[in-house]
Amino acid sequence: MNFDHLILTLIVFFPLAGAILLALLPDRGKTMEWGALLIALITFALTLHLPFHYDYGLQSGFQFEQNISWIDSPAIRYHLGVDGLSMWLMVLTGFLAPLGVLISWRAIDSRKKLFYVLFLLQQVAMMGIFASLDMLVYYAFWELSLVPMTILIATFGRTDKRRRAAIKYFLYAFIPSALLLVAMLWVYAQTSTFDLPALASLASRHGISGNDRALWLASLAFLLAFAVKTPVFPLHGWLGDAIFEGPTAAIMILAGKTALYSMLRFSFGIFPEQSHRVAPLMVVLGAIGIVYGALLALIQTDLKRLAAYSTLAHLSFIVVGIFSFTVAGLNGGMYQILNESLAGAAFFMLLGLLYERYRTYDLRQYGGLAARLPWMVTMFVITGLAMVGLPMLNGFVGEFLILSGAMQASFTHHLFWTVFATLGVILSAAYMLTMIQRIFYCGLGPVGAVTDAQDLNTREHVALWPMVALFLVMGVAPSVWLRAINTAATPMATQQAGSTVAGATTHLAGQFTGLPTMPGGAR
Amino acid sequence: MTPIPPNVAALLPEYVLTIAAVAIMMMEAVLKPGASRKPLGWLAILSTIAAGIISYLQLAMGPLVAFSGTIRVDAFSVFFHLLIAGIVIATLLSSLDYFDGNASHAGEYFSLVLFGAVGMMLMTCSVELLMVFIGLEISSISTYIMAGFRKSQTASSESSIKYFLLGSFATAFFLYGIALAFGATGSTSLTAIAAAIGGSATPRMALLALAMMIVGLGFKVSAAPFHVWTPDVYQGAPAPVVGLMSTAPKAAAFAVLLRVTFSGFASMSHRWTLMLWILAALSMTLGNLGALMQRDVKRMLAYSSIAHAGYLLVAFTALPAQGIAAACFYTAAYAAMNVGAFIVVTEAAGFQESLRTVDDYKGLALRRPVLAALLAFFLLSLIGIPFTGGFFGKFYVFTGALQAGHVWLAVIGLINSGVACTYYLRLLASVYSRREDGADAPRIAETTSIAAGAALALTAVATLLLGVMPGRVLRLAQDAGSTLQANQPAAADGAVPVNASEAQH
Amino acid sequence: MNSMPANYLWLIPLLPFAGFLINGTLGRRLPRGLVSAVALLFTAAPACLVAWLWSTMVGAGAPEVLHSPAQTWISITGLHVDFTLAVDHLTLVMLAVVTGVGFLIHLYSVGYMAHEEGYWRFFAYLNLFMFFMLVLVLAENFLLLFVGWEGVGLASYLLIGFYFTKQSAADAGRKAFVVNRVGDFGFLLAMFLLVMHFGSLDFTTVFSQTSLLDVTGHIPPLCQGLCTILYTPYSGGFLTAICLLLVLGAAGKSAQIPLYVWLPDAMEGPTPVSALIHAATMVTAGIYMVARCHVLFDHSPIALTVVACIGAATAIFAASIGMVQHDIKRVLAYSTISQLGYMFLACGVAAYSAAIFHLVTHAFFKALLFLAAGSVIHALSGEQDMRRMGGLRSRTPITFLTMSAGVFAIAGIPPLAGFVSKDEILFQTFASPNPLAKLLWVLGLITAGMTSFYMFRLWYKTFFGELRLNPVHGANDAHAHEQEHGAAQAEHPHGVHESPWIMLGPLAILGVLSVVGGWIGWPAALGGNNHFEHFLDPVFVSTTALQDPSAMNADQVSHGMEIGLAAISVLVALAGWYAADLLYRQKPGRATRLARQMRPVYETLENKYWVDEIYESFLLLPLVMFTRGMLELIFERGIVNGSGRAFAMITRGFAWFARRQISGNIRSYAGWLAIGAAAVLAVMVFGHSLLVHL
Repeated sequence: MNFDHLILTLIVFFPLAGAILLALLPDRGKTMEWGALLIALITFALTLHLPFHYDYGLQSGFQFEQNISWIDSPAIRYHLGVDGLSMWLMVLTGFLAPLGVLISWRAIDSRKKLFYVLFLLQQVAMMGIFASLDMLVYYAFWELSLVPMTILIATFGRTDKRRRAAIKYFLYAFIPSALLLVAMLWVYAQTSTFDLPALASLASRHGISGNDRALWLASLAFLLAFAVKTPVFPLHGWLGDAIFEGPTAAIMILAGKTALYSMLRFSFGIFPEQSHRVAPLMVVLGAIGIVYGALLALIQTDLKRLAAYSTLAHLSFIVVGIFSFTVAGLNGGMYQILNESLAGAAFFMLLGLLYERYRTYDLRQYGGLAARLPWMVTMFVITGLAMVGLPMLNGFVGEFLILSGAMQASFTHHLFWTVFATLGVILSAAYMLTMIQRIFYCGLGPVGAVTDAQDLNTREHVALWPMVALFLVMGVAPSVWLRAINTAATPMATQQAGSTVAGATTHLAGQFTGLPTMPGGAR
Repeated sequence: MTPIPPNVAALLPEYVLTIAAVAIMMMEAVLKPGASRKPLGWLAILSTIAAGIISYLQLAMGPLVAFSGTIRVDAFSVFFHLLIAGIVIATLLSSLDYFDGNASHAGEYFSLVLFGAVGMMLMTCSVELLMVFIGLEISSISTYIMAGFRKSQTASSESSIKYFLLGSFATAFFLYGIALAFGATGSTSLTAIAAAIGGSATPRMALLALAMMIVGLGFKVSAAPFHVWTPDVYQGAPAPVVGLMSTAPKAAAFAVLLRVTFSGFASMSHRWTLMLWILAALSMTLGNLGALMQRDVKRMLAYSSIAHAGYLLVAFTALPAQGIAAACFYTAAYAAMNVGAFIVVTEAAGFQESLRTVDDYKGLALRRPVLAALLAFFLLSLIGIPFTGGFFGKFYVFTGALQAGHVWLAVIGLINSGVACTYYLRLLASVYSRREDGADAPRIAETTSIAAGAALALTAVATLLLGVMPGRVLRLAQDAGSTLQANQPAAADGAVPVNASEAQH
Repeated sequence: MNSMPANYLWLIPLLPFAGFLINGTLGRRLPRGLVSAVALLFTAAPACLVAWLWSTMVGAGAPEVLHSPAQTWISITGLHVDFTLAVDHLTLVMLAVVTGVGFLIHLYSVGYMAHEEGYWRFFAYLNLFMFFMLVLVLAENFLLLFVGWEGVGLASYLLIGFYFTKQSAADAGRKAFVVNRVGDFGFLLAMFLLVMHFGSLDFTTVFSQTSLLDVTGHIPPLCQGLCTILYTPYSGGFLTAICLLLVLGAAGKSAQIPLYVWLPDAMEGPTPVSALIHAATMVTAGIYMVARCHVLFDHSPIALTVVACIGAATAIFAASIGMVQHDIKRVLAYSTISQLGYMFLACGVAAYSAAIFHLVTHAFFKALLFLAAGSVIHALSGEQDMRRMGGLRSRTPITFLTMSAGVFAIAGIPPLAGFVSKDEILFQTFASPNPLAKLLWVLGLITAGMTSFYMFRLWYKTFFGELRLNPVHGANDAHAHEQEHGAAQAEHPHGVHESPWIMLGPLAILGVLSVVGGWIGWPAALGGNNHFEHFLDPVFVSTTALQDPSAMNADQVSHGMEIGLAAISVLVALAGWYAADLLYRQKPGRATRLARQMRPVYETLENKYWVDEIYESFLLLPLVMFTRGMLELIFERGIVNGSGRAFAMITRGFAWFARRQISGNIRSYAGWLAIGAAAVLAVMVFGHSLLVHL
């Protein structure tokens, strides 16, 4: 039977049911682990329904829609639907969940019930974010996504600073979200609808509000909220501590995809013109973020901090891509969201496994483990190469499209910053190989000397091989994904370029001054 | 057509409660000291439930006007009746075992709660200022006594005294306001006042009257700058009582404020909107900032209640259509989550209130996972996380403000709610973090009685429902709002039933 | 045309990949014999395929180019990149070299690595390298070429760091990869520009569109700087930019100034690796790429000039360093760099076929030299320092014989391979219309002299005189102590020994090749007919007939001239030989004395002009300092995190203020109430009018 209109609801709320079930089950033996794994796997299976029944023929618009009234006044509709981008993001989220469970199998030894319940709740929130097309429903999930993560960090953090890290994370995310809510309510007050497609079509006709300044502020509120959560340089203050403290399974899904997706869906959808105006600035921030993150990663001695900065660098690539507003850039950006989430997750998993064995993230303690952990080093090298964008692995396709797209924007400002951003290719290789060398090569380090750990066991192999396989497949056959993503990206690029005159003028301005046009440009 | 005369029908809930309260007093007197007071508690609960049901039935009877137009039972007052009844039930349930065996004469407590409820209900359904004042006094006096009910603790008595002195100070303002209003308009009936100041240029005196009343009510709802008493009183008073008096009297006071502003002095809205704008901003900011550094949980919640009064006042700056409904809804949501939070505190700390500071709550999640989860839920609702009542409360309030064009108030408010989550989260974080086992680790109460459990369930479910399907309650609130507006413009439709009711005699 | 082989093109790279997978996954469990069997089989098979391909592609009526069926790789609106392989004569030559030499070196490695621990790992990596290298030469678009480009870099990273427990080896591997990345930075930017201006990365599309542009005459003034060239809208500018960026890439891969620094360190890898990757094949990728893109370069005289200058400079620079090195492998490394310089020079004067020709011959004799050197090292159980060698002529006769062939070849002694190809390059340089032609030619000539000097120096120090090997021989190479226990169960007694036949076989074959290899391109002037050049004509002439360098050179320069030039270069080579003979055979003491006399020069050379140190202290150190001081301390700690902290502080301040009023003193409370009330009254009465006035 055909349950296309229900599938999204199923995907979003199945983990919730699972969480409740887990909460009721007794926390005995490996019940929690197996339960969570089963639920995650079923959710993943459900998400797989999407790409198989997706109509790739349609050049735009949403599919698997479900649109029923939830509250009539204010008009909040329970409106779910996916396009080429969000579909793959849901599949990705579904894919990562079981691996997250597998990776926590041994790392989480006490208060498992709490952990896995929260983990599944996080799942619900993320799925909701990707699926919902009603601005308020979306906001609900957006806010909800903060809670489990915060508690996870506060409870299962590594050091006694975990509470501060958790609160820091929450505040960084919540205060901008408050402004986001104001902006959303303002938009509602203008248009009396929360429905995204309706708003988007209004926006393309400049129908949201005549008040340009207010629109500009609202768009900035949107952008700020998403930029902080992404995070975009220099708003990454929370990232370091959160990653430093957080448990592996949590930080696997911590940064990036939800916020970047929101940017694409809401900032661009509702404020195309304003997004265009701010684009030059964002490209600059992205480019700087790439180099900045890579440079700082280069000098870190703590693996988690290194991972944090490399995450910043890789996310900045995506920022550059999507704000180039070119077909290639948007395609690459969206594709890179998937790649980064995958590679980053794999990276964090490996770090977690390393920590399980040697109980430290201090790079100086490591060295010469390659002989002992041949499989581990293999995985590390492959993941590292995927992250530095080696051709035939997934990262390369994304980065190539992003940068070439950014360059195709073809005005001085973008060209210059693209060249700058491309420096990241060198630096990323530098820090990644340095890290691998300091962990695995050269003489045996202190920890290697005292503890001799086993190589990957079966569970860990099961958790890692799917990733590695995906790196290769996504690198060799990206068209499987791009086919759908392209349908989401192309209209965005073309419509945006077409719809806005102001955007175009600022482009010209940018071309001559070579400087980003500042908010002052708003009239 | 109902056979019951309106004077009976209109105040039936109050009658029921009064009778029950008096009966409980009698029994308390005859019961021997050692005996359990629980049956009295149950009696009180049953009577409250009855009162609730009755006032719900009153909804069907349409607007009832009694006692020559001083009492008006309409959707608005019924809404608050139900709300107050709900709060009282939850409080009573939670305090059944709290006082039993701990305090002597627990029976008095139950009757006091009922008397208080009577007073509050009276406040919400009277359209005549002196009547309002009577209700106010009834409720206030009983809460003063309740605040000091942990007679053994000096802090409790201190809070009671403070509350009493300052409270009477404030009610004096209110009374003076009434007098001025009478002077200005020659009447103390809101409808009459509305009619009197409706057309003419607003007289100074009416302004002063309104100002005075705002001061008095501002004290009752603990809005800044009249909030100073709140932390001390809440800290000293017994937890369930705090749960009650941080919600029910406030709800009643807000109901009065709504009546006064939106129906009585509606024509002067441009004046009081500004006033309440300022009060709202002040209360939100001062409340949250005060709570920020607070280690003592009850004080912290006191400050948070100040802040929430501020959020609620934001609704007054909205247009009547959304404003009243938003205010009603927020009151309900706030009541549900705040009472819930205090019940959790009650249950965790026990009668001795062993858990004072935030750090005392460490390890709660390990000892009492369910309780901790509920506390987390209530705190998240107080923060305003979606799928909780708090979220939609804030949502409606701020939407209203934005639609009225008060963007900056909305910004201030939501930034505040951002700041607020700091201290809620600190509590949450310590609840979910391990307790480093020291010798002097305060003991967490180990068990929760069925009754308290029921109370928790009630509040939790209410908070959740308000967050997931707010539609129904919102509709009630909107009806309340519309009735309030309906009887504002002309005294006519208010007067007609009066004549009708008198014609029957 | 017959598309039969075209369908099998993918087999050529994929077979070695299969070998990599097998050895990489199961290798650890398989016996060594099986591992080497797999490795050899999966290298020999493509070689046979190439042979078959060759047979179908030469001769009358044979197709000039074969395309494999296309597989979509990246496809979005406005950009489409396929997996497509193509073979033309250029590729054919490269294929022959890669598979042929590759196979020989695999064979050699079976013997050389016999006692190593990571035996399976070694062969897996080697096969992986073959895969990527074959992709590189077969690719039909820039992106696929880049796949091979990066891939060989990866393989070389893995193989250089083969002895990963050695700090120096690990460092060298990383250095190689990162420096190559600098080149790839250029390559990537070039590709972005190509996409930007041609909307495609396919060779056919790009080149056909380019040859339509007629901008050859136009040379934008370089002083405008790369940026302006990049952005000036007219077509010539961006072509120049693209070419220069490609040159950066090529310089990285082919170890040219300024990116050559990784190659000498790369000698940390096992010797066969040095032979295959860092002499014969990978490092020539840059030359191949330039030749492949010759259409672009022909349209950008600036870029060509840059290429030529880089080439000449690198050639003489590296040769000068090579003259004083003591590590036998390092000498060969620097000679490789300088030979690559020759090839660059050739490309720079648009003598692409000459460049490729030298590439081929160089592949023969340099592979031979490395393998022979490996055999020497093997014989001395890991000794690499020539100061401790000598007198091996008698002990390892076959090695000596083959090595000699290599030495004579590279030194440019006629009629060996090296002479022919190098002479071709020098002649083309001399004859090119480039204004700098004569200068470049002189540089090339001097380099030739140096080359023959340091090669014969090596020859003498290694094989003549007395063995100076002291009993405690340097265990500086991991290969050494691998050897210790290895040699124990080896058939021959410990000590100096000739290598096994499996190593000598390849040496012999390569020896023969480096003697006769050059004859395929014997210049017309010396009575041959330049087969090789004509073989490549379809690639290099057809596209840009209007300005084919060889065409215009031919009528400029007479055969007599060519012979004269050849004679000069031979004389120079002999001079170099004589000098070496003088210093290292007749009066061995004189060399050291000479060194002492001209100490500054000698030290400068011995320290390789301190280039590494300069990079260290003027690039890396400042960067790290800036990052630590400026970025991490000031910006990250100060601003990024500080701002949050500051916000918190301010809020706390307010909080403290907000709580001060609540003293617990009831009188003050009453006071506050009164004040509040007054304020409310004031606002109610006057507030509104105030607002109105504001």
